[in-house]
Amino acid sequence: MTTERAGGLTGSQTAIYAASSAMLALLFVPAAHSDYLNALFRGILMYAAMSYGWNVIGGYTGYVSFGNVVFFGIGCYTAAVLATHGTTDIGVSIVAGMVAAAIFAIILGIPVLRLKGHYFGIATLAIALAVQDVIANIDALGGSSGLSLKAATLFGAAVPYVATYYGMWAVCLVAMIGTYVVARSRLGYAFVAIRENEDAAAVLGINPTKYKVLAWAISAAFGGGAGAVFVFANGYIDPDTALAVNNNIFPIVMALLGGIGTVAGPLLGAFILTAINETLWNRFPFIHTLFFGAMIVLIVIFLPRGLLFLISARRSWNLYVQSLRAYRV
Amino acid sequence: MQLFFQDLVNGILTGGILALVALGFSLVYGIMNIINLAHGAFIMLGAYITFQLFSSLHLDPFLSIPIAFVALFILGWIIQRYVINYVVRAPILTTFLLTFGLALLLVNVILLIWTGDTRSVTTSYSGANFDIGGITVPVVKLMTLIVALTIAAVAQTWLVATKMGRAVRATSMDVGAAQLTGVRVGQIYAIVYALSAGLAGAAGSLISVSYAFSPASADSFLIKGFIVCVLGGLGSVQGAVVGGLVYGIVETFASQYIGTGYADAVALVVLLVILIFRPSGILGKATA
Repeated sequence: MTTERAGGLTGSQTAIYAASSAMLALLFVPAAHSDYLNALFRGILMYAAMSYGWNVIGGYTGYVSFGNVVFFGIGCYTAAVLATHGTTDIGVSIVAGMVAAAIFAIILGIPVLRLKGHYFGIATLAIALAVQDVIANIDALGGSSGLSLKAATLFGAAVPYVATYYGMWAVCLVAMIGTYVVARSRLGYAFVAIRENEDAAAVLGINPTKYKVLAWAISAAFGGGAGAVFVFANGYIDPDTALAVNNNIFPIVMALLGGIGTVAGPLLGAFILTAINETLWNRFPFIHTLFFGAMIVLIVIFLPRGLLFLISARRSWNLYVQSLRAYRV
Repeated sequence: MQLFFQDLVNGILTGGILALVALGFSLVYGIMNIINLAHGAFIMLGAYITFQLFSSLHLDPFLSIPIAFVALFILGWIIQRYVINYVVRAPILTTFLLTFGLALLLVNVILLIWTGDTRSVTTSYSGANFDIGGITVPVVKLMTLIVALTIAAVAQTWLVATKMGRAVRATSMDVGAAQLTGVRVGQIYAIVYALSAGLAGAAGSLISVSYAFSPASADSFLIKGFIVCVLGGLGSVQGAVVGGLVYGIVETFASQYIGTGYADAVALVVLLVILIFRPSGILGKATA
């Protein structure tokens, strides 16, 4: 992966304007008064937020995590437990979900981020599976049958169901702005330095452990926030829903599809992948997963550097073909 | 004490199958540096081929091992040649997602053909077992262990004693140097991937006799393959066998003394601990 993109670590400036406009437009989705549209776009915002989360550790820092769904799950269960034993305030739940996920990432990251490459990938996948198993065995968390939730409130007042849409919008916005701020700051440069060459980064005075753990904590916070809102939207949570394989893989494919290590990529990827997935669902209700699998294969082979790269490389077809041939034997 | 030895025997008997599950996975991982998430789907394909041959032709499941092996070998060759070859040197993210997509595709093809019902292959000798000093040994499981270890031994001989096997080992040590000495790396990769798929097919045949299975079992066997590989170290036959036996025993004791609900979690925690303290496996060199 190289960093010679227009706009430095944020990706193309035009794409960021487009993504910001899209976020603004998304604010008006509930005006259509369609439950279907609300649910659909809430899904897009949720996956986009998770994809932003994955992008910080997997995209910018180069530590390909296959267990970020754990942080989504922690967000879910933090909100669920708060709602059962304390407050149903959706704002408090979001913050609590983000903080809990970040703390979990720090505790987990200190040993696990010592691993590199394949080993980190496997370890994170194992964590995702182990957490699912452990939650299913904890009675306080409802075990494998899960927990039900009361409706959300805000500042002590009941709020309509559509609040879950705005909640998800807010989390996604935080994730997007957060990514932008990180990419523009010394932090972003430290992350990318670690991605490109960890030893060289250490020589330059970047403490790899500190920055890797920080990257994972930020990454986890985005996912945790999305989880906290999801629980209120879903009204119910169990380990299979919270740590679903889709919730683990979709955000990664979305980041890849849009463009890894960019600010606009995850949102773009979430839009397109959700649109495709929804179409496949409607057209082929029984075998849509089959097509989805085939699509992942095609994306990985033909868009290894994402749509944003393809768009920016439009004047140079050769560059694109070159990027396809790079990994062949 | 009786119970302890019974568990130990059960663990070893389970371990044979796990060794074979891990063997193909380990070869692809060690030699091509690809985590093949489609391995579980290959195993299930092998199991369903055996199931189909048994239910429509009444072919003994142990006789369908070569058929499953060849069928999966061919499928593996095609997938490597026309799909994986395009990204074989790509970073881990690419290959991981690619094989995940393949797994999704294959599992859904299985679902489409054989539905999601739980299947099993029950032969006339399925329930048979014998007794040694109070320890019960099921015949099928013992046969499975013997077959699995035989296949592993053949694979090891192939790797050590043949020209092709030497080329494979050379490729796993240093791709560039192997190419310089005239090894055609593309061809080696195709053979290794096809062989790995074939071994998965054989493992599937054996699984169909001992376990009830459904398309969803693909994940469970994939994860077990992972864990065994990490236990034993990557890319070596001995590693897969030792890892398989150790994991079989650990799993059996964990479900006996901690409870079946936690068996997978315990295994995964063991995996994490080993990854962190001994990233190259029990038998591997102590370098990360």
